[in-house]
Amino acid sequence: MGEPDEDGLMLALKSLVCPSGVAALASAAFILLAPVAGNADQDAWPQLKLQTFGDRPIQAEDGAVVLEIPGTADDASLVPLTVRVPPAITQKLKSLTLIIDKNPDPLVAALSFGPAAGTGGERSFSTRVRIDSFSHVRAILETEDGTLHMATKFVAAAGGCGAMQAKDPDAETVDLGKMIVKTFPPALDSNPVWSGLVMIKHPNQNGMQLNINTADIIPARFVKEVTVKRGGELVFQMQSTFSISTNPNFRFTFGRGADNSLDVVVKDTDSAVFTAQSGPSGS
Amino acid sequence: MCELSPISRRNAVKAALAFAASPFLRYVPTYAADHAEVSEIAPGVFVHQGRYEMQSPENRGDMANACFVVGNESVAVIDTLGSAVAGSELRNAIRTVTSKPIRYVINTHMHPDHVFGNAAFKEDNPIYVGHLKLARGLASRAERYLAINKQMLGDEAFGGIEIILPALAVDGTETLDLGGRSLVLETQPTAHTDNDMTITDTATDTLFLGDLLFSVHVPTLDGSIKGWLVLLDDLSRKQAARVVPGHGPKAMELPGALEPEQRYLAAIASDVRRLIKEGKTLEDATEVAGFSERDAWKLFDQYHVRNVTAAFAELEWE
Repeated sequence: MGEPDEDGLMLALKSLVCPSGVAALASAAFILLAPVAGNADQDAWPQLKLQTFGDRPIQAEDGAVVLEIPGTADDASLVPLTVRVPPAITQKLKSLTLIIDKNPDPLVAALSFGPAAGTGGERSFSTRVRIDSFSHVRAILETEDGTLHMATKFVAAAGGCGAMQAKDPDAETVDLGKMIVKTFPPALDSNPVWSGLVMIKHPNQNGMQLNINTADIIPARFVKEVTVKRGGELVFQMQSTFSISTNPNFRFTFGRGADNSLDVVVKDTDSAVFTAQSGPSGS
Repeated sequence: MCELSPISRRNAVKAALAFAASPFLRYVPTYAADHAEVSEIAPGVFVHQGRYEMQSPENRGDMANACFVVGNESVAVIDTLGSAVAGSELRNAIRTVTSKPIRYVINTHMHPDHVFGNAAFKEDNPIYVGHLKLARGLASRAERYLAINKQMLGDEAFGGIEIILPALAVDGTETLDLGGRSLVLETQPTAHTDNDMTITDTATDTLFLGDLLFSVHVPTLDGSIKGWLVLLDDLSRKQAARVVPGHGPKAMELPGALEPEQRYLAAIASDVRRLIKEGKTLEDATEVAGFSERDAWKLFDQYHVRNVTAAFAELEWE
């Protein structure tokens, strides 16, 4: 991905069946989809795979990608997820796709990596997701040679999407768009892989909640694109959905450069653009 | 369905002392199987103590404290337990004490173990009362709360549960007259949730804290850890003859009643802040933060990781 068909992927995923029977979901373009009754036990993956990757072969659990996520989610609206690529994998990375089979929008995020994504050490990507139902969670990594590698975990969680995520919705809307960007140098100078943190204050509203006062659906509004550059070179560009938790949080690795400061551009579905830059490293 | 960890001797002694300070004036025995066991902790103030458990078919959602106050003219209920079945047993207990009309059903906050018994009082046609923000909080979580409770309570105990939102939404202070005594309701800033409300019975100087106070049962954080710590500090300077926790003994004394909870939340906040400063992640924090408190609370394993998660997501923005 990162190729011009990204939008096609997003729309293909958005048009999938909503397994939990949510009546309608507003996509980025506020397209209303017809409700389709879902079977909770139905295996959604073959169809998801076909729509996302066509008939390309996928190497499952081959060790190229490791997915860490709790088997039982204590808070389904905020489930930490980490993808690791072990140091033994030395190729450059092309793309990473995160999928939660049973979520109303199964696509969590699709990243395409750039020249500053880094090589020469363990690479990783972490975020926090909403999980609506007991579901398989998948990380599909594409290495430079075009091979797809997949790690899958099953998570027991319920109600992360339909629920109001914000514990204090009034406080959450005050600082919308506020960002924190940090960089962390490696423990050893010889390690060419740094890590970065991007935090965005954003409700990532999923368009499934009623406004109790007006009985209207609160419109979807969520972060749809995050672009991270190091010294002007692309680390990754990510397309994301409301399967990412409120106040999206991303931790990732990137390759050391002459200038290790990060520039971040975030766009949401209301066409708002937020930008931020990291301060001195480790701050 | 859950393992209970032993509570610390220190907390047990504290709880016992606090309880001893408020002798029963009357004990209402459970002679009929279908009414909740309640004690009169002060004249006209009755408390039912919930179990330190997660909801189950066996406990039928009877897992929080529920209270009622009897005035010369009418009765006010404060929280209604976690199912219509448990709520109707609370109603039966009221009827063993008084036949006065039940005019108000007050919910201290939105959580199911405090509001899912509301439907049991429909026949009394009471005014349901809650924090201004309770309706939004509960309505937006209703689908999930109902699904989870149906699963945990089972069909029998789940029967009759309805989401009933407050008709009287309190914003600031409200006084309810029960005849010869009044209840003063005060909405609180975001702490345990964003819709906690405290109630003072002026006749006996009894302060109902709802889930702003947990004793023995580990606190559950669904609002703001910073807000809760600030509010506890304010509450510790309050004067009251006795306080009633949302989970814990039927009556306790200020400020000692608040101390274990303050210690628990402060331990989480301090550990989480240190880990954030060290560049550690949320996952790291859920493995270590606040674990010094593990032996001090029941249901720690069921709620603690969730509490740390919520605290981390809040404090990382400092």
